[in-house]
Amino acid sequence: MSKGSQSSSFGQAIWNFFSSVKLSFSLLLILALTSIAGTLIPQKEAASVYLRAFGEAGWRLVQALGLNDMYHAAWFRLILAALAVNLVICSLNRLPTTFKLMRRDPEEDLASMRKPRQRFTLPGAPSENLAAAEKALTRVGRVQQGQTPQGLVLFAQKGAWSRLGVYVVHLSVLVILAGALVGNFLGFAGSVNIEQGQTVDHIILDSRQPKKLDFALRLNKFTISYYPSGMPSEYRSEVTFLKNGQPVKSASLIVNDPAEFQGIDFYQASYGESLNLKVSYQKGDKTLEAVLSNQHWRQLPDGAYAAVADYRKSIKMGDKYSGPFARIVYQGQQGESQSFNAFKPGAGMPSAGPISFAILGASSVPYSGLQVKYDPGVWFIWVGCTLMVIGFFMAFYFAHRKVWVRLSPTEQGRTRVELAGGTNKNRPGLTRLLARLGAELGGREQQAE
Amino acid sequence: MEALSNQILVVVTFAFLAASVLYLCHWVLKTELFGWAASIVTWVALAALTASIVLRWLASYQLGIGHAPFSNLFESLVFFAWTLAVIYLIIELVTKLRTIGVFAVPLAFLSLLYALSLDPAIKPLLPALKSNWLIAHVITCFLGYAGFGVSAALSLMYLVTGQHKQAGTPRAQLLDDLIYQTVVLGFILLTAGIVTGSIWANSAWGTYWSWDPKEVWSLITWLVYAALLHSRYMRGWQGVRVAVFSLVGFACVLFTYFGVNLLLSGLHSYATGKG
Repeated sequence: MSKGSQSSSFGQAIWNFFSSVKLSFSLLLILALTSIAGTLIPQKEAASVYLRAFGEAGWRLVQALGLNDMYHAAWFRLILAALAVNLVICSLNRLPTTFKLMRRDPEEDLASMRKPRQRFTLPGAPSENLAAAEKALTRVGRVQQGQTPQGLVLFAQKGAWSRLGVYVVHLSVLVILAGALVGNFLGFAGSVNIEQGQTVDHIILDSRQPKKLDFALRLNKFTISYYPSGMPSEYRSEVTFLKNGQPVKSASLIVNDPAEFQGIDFYQASYGESLNLKVSYQKGDKTLEAVLSNQHWRQLPDGAYAAVADYRKSIKMGDKYSGPFARIVYQGQQGESQSFNAFKPGAGMPSAGPISFAILGASSVPYSGLQVKYDPGVWFIWVGCTLMVIGFFMAFYFAHRKVWVRLSPTEQGRTRVELAGGTNKNRPGLTRLLARLGAELGGREQQAE
Repeated sequence: MEALSNQILVVVTFAFLAASVLYLCHWVLKTELFGWAASIVTWVALAALTASIVLRWLASYQLGIGHAPFSNLFESLVFFAWTLAVIYLIIELVTKLRTIGVFAVPLAFLSLLYALSLDPAIKPLLPALKSNWLIAHVITCFLGYAGFGVSAALSLMYLVTGQHKQAGTPRAQLLDDLIYQTVVLGFILLTAGIVTGSIWANSAWGTYWSWDPKEVWSLITWLVYAALLHSRYMRGWQGVRVAVFSLVGFACVLFTYFGVNLLLSGLHSYATGKG
């Protein structure tokens, strides 16, 4: 055996494997069964959650199988990919036969009349009944006629295009998967918290990496309205998009009504109060002032970074201290991280060392949390969904039906009418169609033979 | 108006119970009179249920928080009973087979009975639910669920009445065809429900699919019915196998509907009874 034929028979084996409907059936059920795992095991949680729920060994297993984010795990993606390949190969395998069935030569159809399902006779010769038969058949489709040894045969068909329905559905699944891939590779998703009055040009991606936008976004105002019962009825962020510092577009963001700017969508997602803590900051013999936040790092005048980890408006430590307290996380220029206790100036027990913080004042500002998304694949999804529904109607509610009417003379000088039909699905529907045609042709004079 | 709507609901619940018993009598005693009575009671109950839903809708506007009555578990159960009754009665009209009622109408009764155990108060809409897609999403999903529900009832009837021992008789073939037709109806509507849900999610949460447990379970249900349809088209499965398959599919529907909310947590939390 030559190498070439070996590889081609290997290729053939792979092709055969992927063209089997048994495989599609198994993949659909495997996807269904494995998907259950991700609904029982919490997804994308911190390691501690799994450790608590499953123990050390369980957590290692969960991690090894990627069950903590299983819908993005390689093995799950592989099943999806196998289903896509299976879909393509099954469709390619069957498409030529389908085309042949759709574009069959009418002559061939005329000559291959099925077994008659209805028989009756009508008065008059076949030529006298021809027009009526033709008229009745036009409700099915364009009528072809031809002489056969058994008599004059009329043929019509409809719904040949419905044979493509299943391919439209399969294509739609591929379009949806393609849309998901496009979104995955070319799009991004993240979020940003903006304090009222603040302008930002950065968002935090879901991967926790910062991303700079080539425009800026200002939160002018954040409001919550309530129903009389006290339940919130609306969260609204008034924002302005700025390009090179110039306002370009203003929008009102509410839940279910996002705003778009340069292809990027912004969604109302959360809200809260952001703390602005005014501190004095002593390093060596220098004393500086800074405003720190509990939302993000702020750069100190000397280049280091700090943020508020914890803040209490008032604490009481016996008669030694009563007043505000904060815990401040500090990151030096070399990246070393430390935390400090801060109290009101000259009181309490500030952390000892070359650096110390004291609280000068605190205020809070409302902030709005926005979801940010850029997804060029989303149109694939909507096109795919539309195709799928169209495909379902083609595949489920239309059939390729063929109808034959044969007219032949009887010895009594009457016409024997024979009706036959064929369909690729919904036999009861075909039977009803033939009955209707028979009734129309025979009228009252119809008599079963 | 709200009170009237709730009072009608109690009556309708017991009307569905009465209809179920009448259908059962018709089946066991083979008396036409019971069959007629069962049909009439079901039609009247459906009309009253429709009135109750419309009244609730109007009442919500009177309260100044007007919204379609599809916003929590209570309202969805009432609507589910409505869709079950509609799909069942259409099938009864077309096939004249009243035996199906023995299996289908109790589903509507149970759905309403569950609803009656919940708090019926009309509550204002959460910001996330304020979308026109809510109506499209709920209507398509629940018509789909009802299609699958009636299919499961037909499957149960197929198995209980021993049709598989007489496969090939017109009765067995008709039932087999109806099981398939109702699965197709449910499948198309479930697909439409998932699509409208993702359009809505895309405008509310910025993502059309987030692998939330409810979404995943609707996908699992979709996959199971897709497998059923492939087995029928490509391998010629019918009769007992399809009937059992349809029952498994409906178990998935029930888990998607109730199990996810009661046992798992996720974005669809407003659909729990706690509200």
